[in-house]
Amino acid sequence: MTVAIDSFGITDKGKVRENNQDNFLIVEIRKSIDVQHSSLSADALKNRFGAAQGHLFVVADGVGGGPAGEMASEGAVAALLKYAGEAVGCFNSFSAAKEHELFETLEQTVRGVHEKLRADHEGKRGPAPATTLTMLLLIWPRAYLVHVGDSRAYVRRGDRVQQLTRDQTFGEYMITIGAWTEEAAARAKPSATLSSAVGGTEMAPVVGLIDLEPGDGLLLCTDGLTKHVTNDRIAEAMTGSESAEAIGRRLLEEALGGGGTDNIAVIVVKSLPKS
Amino acid sequence: MIQKKICMVGVYGTGKTCLVQQFVQSIFSVKYLSTVGVKIDRKEVKIGNLDVTLMLWDLEGRDGTHDVNASYVRGAHGVIYVADGTRPDTAQQLIEIRELVEKSVGRIPSVVALNKIDLTEEWKLAAADEAGAGGSDLHRLRTSAKSGEGVEETFEWVARAAVASSGGDQ
Repeated sequence: MTVAIDSFGITDKGKVRENNQDNFLIVEIRKSIDVQHSSLSADALKNRFGAAQGHLFVVADGVGGGPAGEMASEGAVAALLKYAGEAVGCFNSFSAAKEHELFETLEQTVRGVHEKLRADHEGKRGPAPATTLTMLLLIWPRAYLVHVGDSRAYVRRGDRVQQLTRDQTFGEYMITIGAWTEEAAARAKPSATLSSAVGGTEMAPVVGLIDLEPGDGLLLCTDGLTKHVTNDRIAEAMTGSESAEAIGRRLLEEALGGGGTDNIAVIVVKSLPKS
Repeated sequence: MIQKKICMVGVYGTGKTCLVQQFVQSIFSVKYLSTVGVKIDRKEVKIGNLDVTLMLWDLEGRDGTHDVNASYVRGAHGVIYVADGTRPDTAQQLIEIRELVEKSVGRIPSVVALNKIDLTEEWKLAAADEAGAGGSDLHRLRTSAKSGEGVEETFEWVARAAVASSGGDQ
């Protein structure tokens, strides 16, 4: 069985912030051959080289006020777009060594952005521009994940929605090592401070993968969504039969309805079984 | 640099992620978060004169609704089967899990980690359970992701065996 990918992305500055430091990217990667002349019929050539080889989905949330945060998140997303263009050669090769190469290239791209942001800020005052970054490279059925910061990725299978990423925040770290309870973390102000960010003082990308099944869905979002929409609500929206666009728009509306205190970026992906 | 893919497999909640965290970052997580899909970590080790990068694939655990995904194990050079010493069924299930893994990759260097040895009061594995976990031919070690006991030795054992079996090839 093959699948069709239905995806949709949307971003909004919310109701409080003056500018939007969130960015998203949806890319369909194709291996293409430009046929100049041929004796084959148009039907024979149609769709021969046009099938999607992979999809890249990215959300990024700039950190820090003003243009610095915008620049950081835009720069990170643009670097991944460049990567997607170069990565076609990695496909269709699933030896363990090739897979590790793919991961290394992805991680290296993120590290490259991190180092550039740090270098550009050297000698300047104030905190360096930084960004969160959550990206999924889908080469059906395998989805490769690289994650930095507190944006999130979720996977939906049947009526179950599970969070693929863990927030890289100070609060989450303190809970993990047992220094704080969940309640203490919810009360503490520095809880939301990022413990890892692209361009930040610390950057520790987490990598992983998951094999999808026809019918599975994915959600990538920045914390502007999860501040106002609970995991239960996300699960409800994701398990419905609506299109990716309808789900994305509905989640955005809910975040705005809940206060819209931050920029919001959402990507919804649905894999539709195709016989 | 030689790379070796090592897979952590077992039933859910046996401490696979905690063992990797202890080995790679020397921290122990008190909060249980089930792994979804695979989390991949990397650690460089020295085996004799060789610099080896271990790619540690921490697979989601087997639970009531889904089994170990054999396609995640493809291309592995070594496996760490993890059981929870306070839950004997997690050791008993390793035989089936091993069959599944070996269908995908054949016989590769493997070790059994009998984890949570720090929970002495709750330890429920009888000597026979320990000896038979995953099959009597496998090397086994008692580990504690919390205290670190046996952790370094387990990863080092499988890394050495993986290098020895492939003669340093990637």
